[in-house]
Amino acid sequence: MRLFAAAAVVCGLLLPSSVVCAESDLSSTRVQLPNDFTPPQVFKNLNLLRNTNLEKGYVRETVDVVVENVDDKPQREYYLPFPADVFGKIGGLEVRDKKSPEKGRFDAEAIETDSSNDINYYVVQFPDALAPSSQITLRISYSVLSSLSPLPATIHQSEQQYLAYTFSAYALSAYPVDNQKTKLKLPSVNVPDYTTTTGLKSGQDPERQGSVYTYGPYETAKVAPGTQYPVTVRYEFTKPVLTAHLLERDIEVSHWGGNLATEERYWLRNNGSQLEKQFSRLEWTVSTYQGFPTSALRELTFPLKPGSVDPYFTDDIGNVSTSRFRPGKVPNRDGSLELRPRFPIFGGWNYSFRIGWNNDLSLFLRKAIGSSGTYILKVPFIEGPKNPEGIQYEKVVVRVILPEGARNVQWETINGATSNGLPSLSQIHSELNDHKTFMDTLGRTALTLTIENLSDEARSSELLISYDYTLWDGLRKPVTITAGLFTVFVALWFVGSLDVSIKKR
Amino acid sequence: MASPSLDVLLKGNSSRNVRGLLRIIILCTIAAAAVSSRLFSVIRFESIIHEFDPWFNFRATKYLVQHGFYKFWDWFDDRTWHPLGRVTGGTLYPGLMVTSGVIYHVLRFLTIPVDIRNICVLLAPGFSGLTALAMYLLTNEMSSSPSAGLLAAVFMGITPGYISRSVAGSYDNEAIAIFLLVFTFYLWIKAVKNGSIMWGTLAALFYGYMVSAWGGYVFITNLIPLHVFVLLCMGRYTSRVYISYTTWYALGTLASMQIPFVGFLPIRNSDHMSALGVFGLLQLVAFADFVRGFVPGKQFQKLLTAMILIVFGFALLGLVLLTVSGVIAPWSGRFYSLWDTGYAKVHIPIIASVSEHQPTAWPAFFFDLNFLIWLFPAGVYLCFRQLKDEHVFVVIYAVLSSYFAGVMVRLMLTLTPVVCVAAALAVSHILDTYLVASKPSEASETKPTADNNQSGLRSTRNPVVGVYSYLSKFFISAMMIVYLLLFVSHCTWVTSNAYSSPSVVLASRMPDGSQHIIDDYREAYYWLRQNTPANAKIMSWWDYGYQIGGMADRPTLVDNNTWNNTHIATVGKAMSSREEVSYPILRQHDVDYVLVVFGGLLGYSGDDINKFLWMVRIAEGIWPDEVKERDYFTARGEYRVDDEATPTMRNSLMYKMSYYNFNSLFGGGQAVDRVRGARLPAEGPQLTTVEEAFTSENWIIRIYKVKDLDNFGRDHSSAVAFDKGHKKKRATKKKGPRVLRTE
Repeated sequence: MRLFAAAAVVCGLLLPSSVVCAESDLSSTRVQLPNDFTPPQVFKNLNLLRNTNLEKGYVRETVDVVVENVDDKPQREYYLPFPADVFGKIGGLEVRDKKSPEKGRFDAEAIETDSSNDINYYVVQFPDALAPSSQITLRISYSVLSSLSPLPATIHQSEQQYLAYTFSAYALSAYPVDNQKTKLKLPSVNVPDYTTTTGLKSGQDPERQGSVYTYGPYETAKVAPGTQYPVTVRYEFTKPVLTAHLLERDIEVSHWGGNLATEERYWLRNNGSQLEKQFSRLEWTVSTYQGFPTSALRELTFPLKPGSVDPYFTDDIGNVSTSRFRPGKVPNRDGSLELRPRFPIFGGWNYSFRIGWNNDLSLFLRKAIGSSGTYILKVPFIEGPKNPEGIQYEKVVVRVILPEGARNVQWETINGATSNGLPSLSQIHSELNDHKTFMDTLGRTALTLTIENLSDEARSSELLISYDYTLWDGLRKPVTITAGLFTVFVALWFVGSLDVSIKKR
Repeated sequence: MASPSLDVLLKGNSSRNVRGLLRIIILCTIAAAAVSSRLFSVIRFESIIHEFDPWFNFRATKYLVQHGFYKFWDWFDDRTWHPLGRVTGGTLYPGLMVTSGVIYHVLRFLTIPVDIRNICVLLAPGFSGLTALAMYLLTNEMSSSPSAGLLAAVFMGITPGYISRSVAGSYDNEAIAIFLLVFTFYLWIKAVKNGSIMWGTLAALFYGYMVSAWGGYVFITNLIPLHVFVLLCMGRYTSRVYISYTTWYALGTLASMQIPFVGFLPIRNSDHMSALGVFGLLQLVAFADFVRGFVPGKQFQKLLTAMILIVFGFALLGLVLLTVSGVIAPWSGRFYSLWDTGYAKVHIPIIASVSEHQPTAWPAFFFDLNFLIWLFPAGVYLCFRQLKDEHVFVVIYAVLSSYFAGVMVRLMLTLTPVVCVAAALAVSHILDTYLVASKPSEASETKPTADNNQSGLRSTRNPVVGVYSYLSKFFISAMMIVYLLLFVSHCTWVTSNAYSSPSVVLASRMPDGSQHIIDDYREAYYWLRQNTPANAKIMSWWDYGYQIGGMADRPTLVDNNTWNNTHIATVGKAMSSREEVSYPILRQHDVDYVLVVFGGLLGYSGDDINKFLWMVRIAEGIWPDEVKERDYFTARGEYRVDDEATPTMRNSLMYKMSYYNFNSLFGGGQAVDRVRGARLPAEGPQLTTVEEAFTSENWIIRIYKVKDLDNFGRDHSSAVAFDKGHKKKRATKKKGPRVLRTE
């Protein structure tokens, strides 16, 4: 196995940089910075527009910024600052050139600094250095997880739930900003509290338009980079704030069975307001009957790929009978798996469960053209539920179990012109190990990918895996079993033909 | 009839091989039928552990698999019987868990990683397949007929009396114990027949396995000595009996003493004394037999009498002395309840409160055994006709177990094997008589007819219809076949309808005929598991202790291992007393949540209000002054929950927790309890010391959180009254009726 791994490493080096070899450990590429680090002031942000979307149970931000190189040398490293308490909750960070998004994402890496620092940085590498006094428009998008706090923290069972979001009216930037504006998109028009700023601009601030609140525009050329002006919005969000603190996803490839088995294990939690008193079944029955909105999770809907069959929904103590499955249709109608947890999940409550289903392998796997034994597998990176309130994952472990003997494993995620919700490859930790199960001799090759902070934006992302698998690998198991049974029979025959009686002959 | 090609197969040497092969195929099919008829619940519901005790066994097995054998042996479980804990490793029969642990590890070794839960669920069906095979072997020792063994195997495979304890998911000790019981008997018969040390040793080994698996091993411990004793009394002493019994007793006792839970019981407990006594007696008889060879007859008689008197005198004296001094434990309560069915109800309500310890109702015999039950005496009669050593065994077994089966429903299980043997003997005898018997030669037949010609009716003069005619053969065998078919359909029906419900999950039918699953137990248990602190103590009646431990994974106060009556009585008292009395008890025992089962909404009759009287009775056994059963009955002696319920009943914690808030579910109307068909009082009970924390979808499980002490040091009732805005009631001065002042 070690030999294969080494071969895989070599192959990985020879391939283009976007293809990541499974074995290499990428966390070592992080840069350590001194404590009092400030990015070199080589850029200026001419215009900054921040769109903050609060329609889901987490924060989704898109920042469009026009950057100009004010240095006299070409520059390619752009620093993105985040407050330390937010830094660990940033998920799916993606930076692109807004004018030509099809060029793909820029590489963005988290920089390790001392934990006592209150500002941490991502560093974005431009593929082409930005010439002096030329401009580039960046589109930076990311989500901030677990930063919405329910206020009040405890509510009555049938009350409305409110979330509060605190941010800075001045977008945090490492460079001076000439003009900036923040647009908040809220899920409802019921906004009981929001900070009105004074002295930042003339006229009313923020401006309201339905459920869109606009802070700014501010002229901040004189304001020192890093200045913050805290602002809080409190809005109604009578939906569950779903957080999976762990999602384990296993994708098992079986060449013999022509089957792709998927199993997902969720550890869910509702981060909304907790119950003020205890749970009352009576009230719950009434409010369900009348269809009131609630902050509790009633039902989850998982769209499954067309052709998914044999779904199951179980938890630690067995099958959960309250689920419905509507099979999809190949080629393009999705199936739908509707799950109702055993009990409604109110704020602060947990629920862990597992679901799984099977797919026809031929829809996901094909042989590489012009090769004898190279296969390419294309599967969704994560699937997960689809609902208006969204779901955030604190940690996702995707394990692709390839057939026994598969080697030379390489993987990549598919990057299109739009965001796929995944962070750049350097944020994905990959590992290759053996998974020994039903009658394996060597153990199956398992590729484990670990990501922290992911949201349901990543539902559309796809994972490409290529591996080598020969005919002999496929025959290994039947041959082993045959040989084993043969040995048993021979041994039995031998033992049976021994004469150990103590009778006289 | 037989074509020449069949003749080749059915006659001569090759026929032996063919028949052997057929026999193996038939046996395999029987085993497969035995396994598959137990899978109803898996197909209908899911692979799930059933009922109550199996949940503990399952939990223990998981512990064994996770922590290894030695940890399991030393397991002290602090999550049950809070705050006492339980020395689980030393107080259980480990055979079942070790068996599945071994299977688990063997499969792991063969790289077939089967989930331990599936092993546990399917263990009982698997072993019942083996039981059918063991039954075949045992019955084959009884009869020379080729069909008896196969019939017995079929009967054993599908008879409901055994299926009731061995459907998939009923992961209980009986699952493997019945196999061990039958197999040990087979080995014992083999040993007695052959007088072989090897068979005796094997019997002892399997007896040891049996001891490790089930408390019912005492049945073997007493049955085998009784067999030997009866053989001795019949004057059938032989060296074969001596060899097999001494081997079995010595090795078997040693083997049984290896189990910590059994320990020194085999030499200290009265239940085991008969085996020891027969062992001694056998030595004496052997000695006498030896002496007889040397001493003349007359003197030998005297010697024998003297010896018997002396030895019996000493033995009896010794036994009494040892019992009085306490070296030998007196008979246990469970044992007494075997002889006097009323004993338990008076002295040990906790034993009587278990439904499977009740005396058997008559229809149960037919329900569980169908036509076997009326073939049973016939089979026993056939044993009398031959009465070899092994038939004596069957006769004794039949007598003993039919008595026990009448005393306790649960012991129907030990009756089933012998019924199967006896019935198979009877059926095979009938079939042999009518199918195989050929017509006697003409000569012997003509003689009596000649005599008959002289007298009698004309119709009897020349009997055309005889035993040997095809018509009678056809008639009898057709009848037997009909009976057998009825038996099969009865077994299938009983298994599918009566014995395949997991009881954790309830099934009902929707109006359109589709199945609707009521999963309240697991809903509530899973809620406890997910949303309470890992160390929250749950108080419930002991029936649910194992399930809470297994599914909710939370510490419990009492569970189905009812070893501490006082602790159970404490819970009973807390449930049956007023809140003011119960609250200190709850506080003292660190109780965080109280769980009750309430079937009033759905009409689920196995709920706590129906079990409530047992709680009262058990509590009354310890605190006769504080809890009185009489107080829970109305003046007319009725057990009611409606307007006429007694104040004690309506103030008891159990009543309040069951019906709390139930009224509001009916809007303005009057609440109806569907189990007891009672209309509840217009005003529902008020709770002050506990608050409703969770109620499952159909209200079957209700969980209450025990309130913490009040922050202001008030008692809870006044705190609740204050919150509701009631004014504190002052001791108002007695005012007389208002009088108009006239001056």
